[in-house]
Amino acid sequence: MTIHLKIWRQKDSNTPGRLVDYTLDDVNPDMSFLEMLDWLNERLMNEGKEPVEFDHDCREGICGSCNLVLNGMAHGPYEATAVCQLHMRKYKDGDTIVVEPWRAKAFPMIKDLVVDRSAFDRIMAAGGYISVNTGAPADANAIPVDKYNADLAFDYAACIGCGACVAACPNSSASLFTGAKISQLAHLPQGNPERKRRVVRMVDQMAEEGFGDCSNYAECEAVCPAEISITSIAKMRREYFNALSEIE
Amino acid sequence: MSKAATFLNSQVGRKIATGVTGLGLVLFIIVHLLGNLAYFAGPEAINTYSYTLHQLGPMLWIVRLGLLAFFVYHAWLGLSIWLERRRARPEKYEVYATRGGASRQSWSSNSMILTGILLLLFVITHLNTFAFYDFATITHGGVEMHDVHARLTEVFLHPLYTVYYVVIMVLLGMHLRHGVWSAFQSLGWMSRKTNPIIYSIAFVLALIIAIGFIGLPISIYFQLV
Repeated sequence: MTIHLKIWRQKDSNTPGRLVDYTLDDVNPDMSFLEMLDWLNERLMNEGKEPVEFDHDCREGICGSCNLVLNGMAHGPYEATAVCQLHMRKYKDGDTIVVEPWRAKAFPMIKDLVVDRSAFDRIMAAGGYISVNTGAPADANAIPVDKYNADLAFDYAACIGCGACVAACPNSSASLFTGAKISQLAHLPQGNPERKRRVVRMVDQMAEEGFGDCSNYAECEAVCPAEISITSIAKMRREYFNALSEIE
Repeated sequence: MSKAATFLNSQVGRKIATGVTGLGLVLFIIVHLLGNLAYFAGPEAINTYSYTLHQLGPMLWIVRLGLLAFFVYHAWLGLSIWLERRRARPEKYEVYATRGGASRQSWSSNSMILTGILLLLFVITHLNTFAFYDFATITHGGVEMHDVHARLTEVFLHPLYTVYYVVIMVLLGMHLRHGVWSAFQSLGWMSRKTNPIIYSIAFVLALIIAIGFIGLPISIYFQLV
């Protein structure tokens, strides 16, 4: 099949970028989107041209590395699908696809489709951890967790930290990511020791990184490959309110 | 910084404050709507309603100042969140589209700033048309009071004003369509089960409020009452 691509090319953060047209006329429908980009890059390199930089790692939808905006939608048009799991058979012969990077001030441009997502690491470092005793590993079931909370915590833990929520949000808010991390730990006894400090520090860090405010558009939930619900954002707000009223 | 200041400066606090002030204003709007409906019960009903409100004296002014504070703070928060949005994404997408599905992006959610600003401008003209108007007086049951009924009839017999008012009330409905649901989400009163229910209730409430406000000018203009 033939696919027309308009790919964002940008040398670095100091050079303005632009969309560049590429046409591939022998795309195998069973290729994943990223395999198609590999195919394109192989050709570009054979022609002595600079390949398109893009982030990828596991290519099975669980690492959160891939980050492409296709025709204006983070991870492309299918719900609960990271772009590495999107296959070309979902497109029609002759389709044109505009490929752009995540765009947010908090995710500075590195090159082409690659942006710096270390702002998420700093939000995690601000409070997305728990205290554990060092030494021999604790018995796995030493602390009882009821099924209801275990299920909820697991749903929130599914977040792969890809940043699609920020990319799709009209306000570039990181509330879904931060909310998922806070909610996951708030539903587990292991999260209790740092519970109050965690939410206050992570919410502060989120603003400090330059992410925008949340306006409850819920676009984040629509594009999330892990199907994280915006109830995590509601939960984060409850946690923040309670923590601030109780913290010294 | 004090805890209250920390809270009100945080992204979560600003959102909660937007929700609280928004819901406060919705309560006012509902009371205002119920007051408007007194028109249908005849001149004495609405004039007495207005008279009784004015008899509250200082209480009325406390409510008015509270409303003004809520209104100004709500508008300021909305504006600052909108300005923040422009700063948070300096380079826009060449192509942007909503995925649909769980997304609540719609005409109403995407135009909150526009409908909000138009409502703000409307309120100023509205106060000028009614609240600060030098009403004629009328006597009901031996008591002299403002003839609100006559003023309403006079204003809404004017076609341009009636159209303007109806358009603004449609915008109010749009603002509330996203706003009411959004307030509940902002206050954290949302779970996976209540989410779709509150989203639907917000739609019905916005519809009732818009239709309620539109009913009066339409009835007066077409002389149905």
